[in-house]
Amino acid sequence: MRLGFLVDLSRCMGCMACAVACKAENNVPLHSWRLRVKYIDQGEFPDVKRHFVPLRCNHCENAPCERICPVSALHYLPNGIVNVDHERCIGCASCMMACPYNAIYIDPITNSADKCTYCAHRIEVGLMPACVVACPTHANIFGDLDDPESEISKYLKSHRDVMVRKPELNTHPKHFYVRGSTVALDPLASERPEGFTLFTEVKFLEHIGGH
Amino acid sequence: MVGAEVTFDVALPKVVWGWLVSTNMWAKSIATGSFLLGIYFIKKYPEQDNFFRKWLPILGIIFIGITLLVTVLDLHHMFRFWKIFLHPHFTSAVTLGAWVVSAFVIVLLVAFWSWATGNKKLLDRVMIPGFILAFFSTIYTAGIMGEATAREVWVFPAEMISMLLSAMIAGSAAYLIVDALYGQILKEEIRRELGYILFGSSGLAAAMFIGELFFAKMHSEFSYEVIKVLAFGEVAPFFWLGIVFAFIIPMTLVGIANEYRRYRYAWIASVFALIGLWLIKHAWLIAPQTLPLS
Repeated sequence: MRLGFLVDLSRCMGCMACAVACKAENNVPLHSWRLRVKYIDQGEFPDVKRHFVPLRCNHCENAPCERICPVSALHYLPNGIVNVDHERCIGCASCMMACPYNAIYIDPITNSADKCTYCAHRIEVGLMPACVVACPTHANIFGDLDDPESEISKYLKSHRDVMVRKPELNTHPKHFYVRGSTVALDPLASERPEGFTLFTEVKFLEHIGGH
Repeated sequence: MVGAEVTFDVALPKVVWGWLVSTNMWAKSIATGSFLLGIYFIKKYPEQDNFFRKWLPILGIIFIGITLLVTVLDLHHMFRFWKIFLHPHFTSAVTLGAWVVSAFVIVLLVAFWSWATGNKKLLDRVMIPGFILAFFSTIYTAGIMGEATAREVWVFPAEMISMLLSAMIAGSAAYLIVDALYGQILKEEIRRELGYILFGSSGLAAAMFIGELFFAKMHSEFSYEVIKVLAFGEVAPFFWLGIVFAFIIPMTLVGIANEYRRYRYAWIASVFALIGLWLIKHAWLIAPQTLPLS
């Protein structure tokens, strides 16, 4: 079994239900996110387009975070999920330096690294991840990549415009996007001006090292 | 359609590894550099080995102590540090580094005991393993940087060579400073050789940095953007001051010192070199962390 995720970006309407469900399900503290939805506006009025991009851990087959973790706090589960052991983590933040997708954070309450686990605790009892359940347009498609009859496998087979983020890094992500674009998936393809924009302030957090 | 910009997003973490990590690399360069050069000078100039048998362990223990202190301070769970020995994950350069440095600390303690008791044979016995451990203690951070897939400008093995050169700069500068503080007790020949090592390693290290900046083929857009941050962005003052302090001033002053036998210039060069080394390591560490990854 190799669990994977697919987001059909043409279905995503940026409602953030997935992000909220994830926060509630996993008790994610303030200022930390396992799953976030980024808005990118492209073009000039009247010729404009808005991209919504849900971003979460890619559960790479060749995960740099797993390789660099000095104590195996980040480890593979038999179903392919890259899981975190909070009790094992020493908080060196190497995984944050290694992850090319910015998917890992240091939980300010536990002081340990944390990230999306595809809701491993729910999958264990036969439930879908919280974000999949919450999505009103079924933009999140989750399943076993090894099962040719799974929805995700069929979706991948029937679409030619499947993309992953940063394929050149050979991390082999198990998180796919359909109907994506470079603007949506490459963080350097869009400007990221700091300051107040739509509803909130786009900014960077201050130094989050140990001290 | 032209242009695209992020109009809604959460606040992203920026600098994950800050000045504590820069200090770690800087102090480690001094500790390992003084060990590697110390062994070389003990072997080459046995008639004046007392100086190096004394200062090799002292400099080593002080600066590897600083390295370990800042490493542990930077952990979010500093009291779980022991897990790296009980639950090691050997694909990680962090783990390999922790084990190698721990063994290097033992060698330094043996070297200190050897000097304190006057038992020279003790240091002689651990010289070769110590040399190997000092070498790997120098380069393991390059391995960590190589494994930091997200930061595409930290490339192995270029980073490894850069770190070895940093160790040579730091080691020679440290010995020149100690020699000056003790009223130039080293033979002129040794002082000149230390100067040449500082000059040569500064020149090579400068060539690597400048080469990366102006001539290297950028293998990704990310690397290209990092170089822009280094040269013109928020860490540019650190970077350019580092270039001047670590390379240009030391090369000039050591050149004068060795050419005109005015050795006071050599220790001024050494002080600049050590300050510059921290600045440039800090700039190099921070620059790739200023760009968004997602």
